Amino acid sequence: MWKTTLAQIRAHGGRLIASCLAIVIAVGFVVATLVLSESANATITRAVGAQYVDTDAVVVPDVGPESPTPSGGSAPGEPSLDELVPRVVELDAVAAVAADAEAFVQALVPGTSGSQYVTVESIAVDEALRWQRLSEGRLPDRAGEVAVSARAGAQVGDTISITFYPAVSSDDPGAIEPGSASAPEPSTEEATVVGVVDLSGDPTAGLRGRYFATPEQVTGWGGTEPTQLRIAANDGADVGDLIESVRSLVDGAGITGTVLTGQEQAAERASSLTGNTIALATFLLIFGSIAVFVAGLVIANTFSVLLAQRTRELALLRCVGATARQVRRGVLGEAAITGFGASALGVGVGIGLAAVVSAIASGVESPIPLGALSIPLYTVLAGLAIGTLVTVLSALAPSKAATRVSPLAALRPMDHAPLRSKRGLVRLAIGLGLFLPGFALMVLGVTIGEILIALPGEMLSALGALLLLQRVIPPVVALAGRLIGGPGGVPAKLAAGNATRNPRRTAATATALLIGVTLTTGLLVGAASTRVTAAADLDRTYPTDVIVATYDQWIPASLADQLRTVENVDSAVALVSTDATASIDGPIQPIQAFGVDLGAAGDTVRAADSLPGPGQVTVNRGLARSQGLAEGDPVTFDHEDNTVTLSAHLVDAYDDLVMSREDLLTLDPEAGTGQIWLRVSDDLTAEQNTEVINEITDLATQAVPSVDVSGLISVRLAVDSILDVLLMVVTGLLGIAVVIALIGVGNTLALSVIERRQENGLMRALGLTRGQLRGLLAWEALLVAGVAAVLGVVAGSVYGLAGAAAVLSETDEVIIDFPVLQVLAVIVVATAAGVLASVLPARRAARTSPVAAMAN
Amino acid sequence: MSHPASYPTPSEHARAQSPAAVRSLALTKTYGRGEASVTALDGVEVAFARGAFTAIMGPSGSGKSTLMHCLAGLDTPSSGQVWLGDTELTALRDTELTTLRRERIGFVFQAFNLLPVLDARANMVLPMELAGASPDPAWTDAVVARLGLADRLTHRPHELSGGQQQRVAVARALLPRPDVIFADEPTGNLDSRSGAEVLGLLRSSVRETGQTVVMVTHDPIAASYADRVVLLGDGRLVGELSDPTADDVIDALRRLELGGSIAGPSSNGGR
Repeated sequence: MWKTTLAQIRAHGGRLIASCLAIVIAVGFVVATLVLSESANATITRAVGAQYVDTDAVVVPDVGPESPTPSGGSAPGEPSLDELVPRVVELDAVAAVAADAEAFVQALVPGTSGSQYVTVESIAVDEALRWQRLSEGRLPDRAGEVAVSARAGAQVGDTISITFYPAVSSDDPGAIEPGSASAPEPSTEEATVVGVVDLSGDPTAGLRGRYFATPEQVTGWGGTEPTQLRIAANDGADVGDLIESVRSLVDGAGITGTVLTGQEQAAERASSLTGNTIALATFLLIFGSIAVFVAGLVIANTFSVLLAQRTRELALLRCVGATARQVRRGVLGEAAITGFGASALGVGVGIGLAAVVSAIASGVESPIPLGALSIPLYTVLAGLAIGTLVTVLSALAPSKAATRVSPLAALRPMDHAPLRSKRGLVRLAIGLGLFLPGFALMVLGVTIGEILIALPGEMLSALGALLLLQRVIPPVVALAGRLIGGPGGVPAKLAAGNATRNPRRTAATATALLIGVTLTTGLLVGAASTRVTAAADLDRTYPTDVIVATYDQWIPASLADQLRTVENVDSAVALVSTDATASIDGPIQPIQAFGVDLGAAGDTVRAADSLPGPGQVTVNRGLARSQGLAEGDPVTFDHEDNTVTLSAHLVDAYDDLVMSREDLLTLDPEAGTGQIWLRVSDDLTAEQNTEVINEITDLATQAVPSVDVSGLISVRLAVDSILDVLLMVVTGLLGIAVVIALIGVGNTLALSVIERRQENGLMRALGLTRGQLRGLLAWEALLVAGVAAVLGVVAGSVYGLAGAAAVLSETDEVIIDFPVLQVLAVIVVATAAGVLASVLPARRAARTSPVAAMAN
Repeated sequence: MSHPASYPTPSEHARAQSPAAVRSLALTKTYGRGEASVTALDGVEVAFARGAFTAIMGPSGSGKSTLMHCLAGLDTPSSGQVWLGDTELTALRDTELTTLRRERIGFVFQAFNLLPVLDARANMVLPMELAGASPDPAWTDAVVARLGLADRLTHRPHELSGGQQQRVAVARALLPRPDVIFADEPTGNLDSRSGAEVLGLLRSSVRETGQTVVMVTHDPIAASYADRVVLLGDGRLVGELSDPTADDVIDALRRLELGGSIAGPSSNGGR
């Protein structure tokens, strides 16, 4: 049987290209994702681990949950790691100890504008524990010297001015309120750059500059207590013992901390960073699995069409003695060989793609760390396994159908299985069996907002729907056929008849297009709804574009009018404010309350829901949660002799307590303007936005020097553009699956025309002209493609909305936006694509002489 | 081209079985249901002798193809039995029937005999390969030589003429030395010279190696190559001829079509 199988592949290889292509693309995608994810992890691990290369043991103090800075030395009240150092050094096995500390300073590099916030890390005193690689110069060896990372933009020999806050005692760690009485004043010193450290490959290198200085200098610049102790052991010392001894020292000193080997610590640090890459990889693999799923559908379709064309050969095999099992094994063997070959190619493509992406990423200094490619064996094996498995699984159903070919079919024309036959009923049963649970799962996933449940549900129900639709397609085509019969003339009537005469072929052709249209529509509808919902959510979170606020004096009333005249400011509304005390069920707190003219504010604010209604006061959701406040709970305000009680209205936006202007004036009839809200025109460029904000700031500062202008619009626009990019990426990724489906369409249509050589030849012999034959094939394609497009659009809309709902479940309200024009365009394009795909085969069919076509 | 008797004939123990290579008992086949039902075979009882070349003839619609399909185990009758030697075909399931087709039954069809993807040699040994058996090289060479295919073995079917394709089909049928070779209109698509070649090859295989051949044909000339001709009409056995010439067959057919029986004179007189 093998010989026959191999010979089949060799002879009909061309017809398998579409399936191969589908697998290559899908496997390539998956492999690229896996390889990139691995490479990113490897890069991170290597970079993070660089620090611990020569370290045998690390002491990391446990910082309690209340500590505000994650790396702020040991827990308050406990001795600092510094005190441990002399005792550790005494251990026999210890060769060197380094106490790593950090300081956070502002650095002004000559030639750059504005100072940057940088971290200054201490260098190990002992050479053995110095891990920094230099690309220029040397490491500092006394105070007043620094080595910088490339990000800092400084050269060796530059003088940098460092602004820092001298160290605070460990009883008061963390937040220093600028302007509060107990805070120390900042000082400025100068430091000389003596070296540049090579941090390439470090994922955190790009975020801000890293400086390195001696431990004394770090302390001098307000450095924290050591965040870890790195210990190098003597050659030949037993690391396990060392760790035990150090651990007992740590416990003995009353420090709560962990002692790990250098490698373990590196792995720990890396794992927190790689968490992000794992999330990204999961995200990409979701699309990878969709691509694989679609590829599977395309392959199943292609194989069933191919096998239908080989009925006579299969029958002959059965005649000369091939058992059903041998036939099935032959078909599956073909699938396995094709799948494996295509997968191997796909693995190559995937690795190549990963290499390209990696090269681009490392050239561009992206936040995603990609150094050299890391290609573990499992990625290759996974790619091969997935591709081969999917191909074989997809060929299972067609192979079963192939075994049902009766040997007699070699001797006389095939009887088409009527849909009412047992086979048809079985399909119906399986279709329902897949569809109903799948749909239920999908609804469950959407309701609880878990995409990882909704997605398999969608796939399962899609499979079931496909089987069911295949039964629906022929009758629908028949119906549609009656519509075109009139205007289309003879070819159209013949086309309608043709399409209904062979339900299997019609269904197979339509299926390929159905898959593509469903995907595309799902994508469009899902993306549109996501966009609109996310935009509305964004508006609710940042309803005000610009807020001008003061905290210590009133804003002159004329400022609002002035600001309204600024170019590109659409509207402005002034808020009155007063100091009051508020109580909710418990302690009375001093607060500042604001009152806004509800009528005027409607135009200025982007989300009406973020305004209080009459008798309400807005409370930030986060604040409400911490105070145990629910929507509608009463809040009482007191100011001098006035009391006002309002009901709370929870919002996602501002922290301020905003009520209606009338209510505030009741509280304090002499309240002045405390804030101005401004709305900026839509669709401005980033430069225009900056200009508007600058002008507003200028005008406001002239009126009130201590004014604070916050341009939330920048944040909103930034998030908006990230959303755009995200949607584009998602579209691109799903587009891959659409491409796979389109390959299936072209292939199936071409094959279906070839399959009917004899029929077409007969019709030509009986008097159908070439033009009429081309017209007939075009009408048929139009009919089938049109029906498939409409059905696909319906199915795609359902799935797209379900997908969007599952993804957006965290927002309060999912807005459904149905992009009618785009969907209509899909129907038109899909139908046209179907017709176009049949043009070439139709031309070939028309050109063949009738006799040649009818001969076998 | 004749190598008399130096090659084993269908085995002795097969001969020791019933003298009929294949026979049927009360074979009936109906298609369709109710008013649309068609009776293709109506209680046909026929036996085909071993080592003989038998032709089944009849006008269109007489059921001759259906009879052959049932005898070969390709189709299941509505009622009745078919015996291949001592094996009852009608009692076997599909897999067992299939196994039988590899080793004990050979086929030659009118058209589409060969797999287009395999070359001549591969097509020839296909049934034996499916059985997992390897053909006896000496026997293979002999068959190839007898059929004049030695220089065509590596060619694909589309590179062979019609006659050559049929010869490959005959070789495929001969190779496993089956109990019976069924030939369904084997010369229908061939010109008279190629047709004569193929028929001659079939007959010589019967003469020289004792192969049993059952051929369905509508061509009187082809039928004349047979030792015995069995005539079917409307699904029933209506007569038989022994060692007929082509003219004998034509006469018999004419009488059949005119509604008479073979034995008696026609009611319309000769024409």
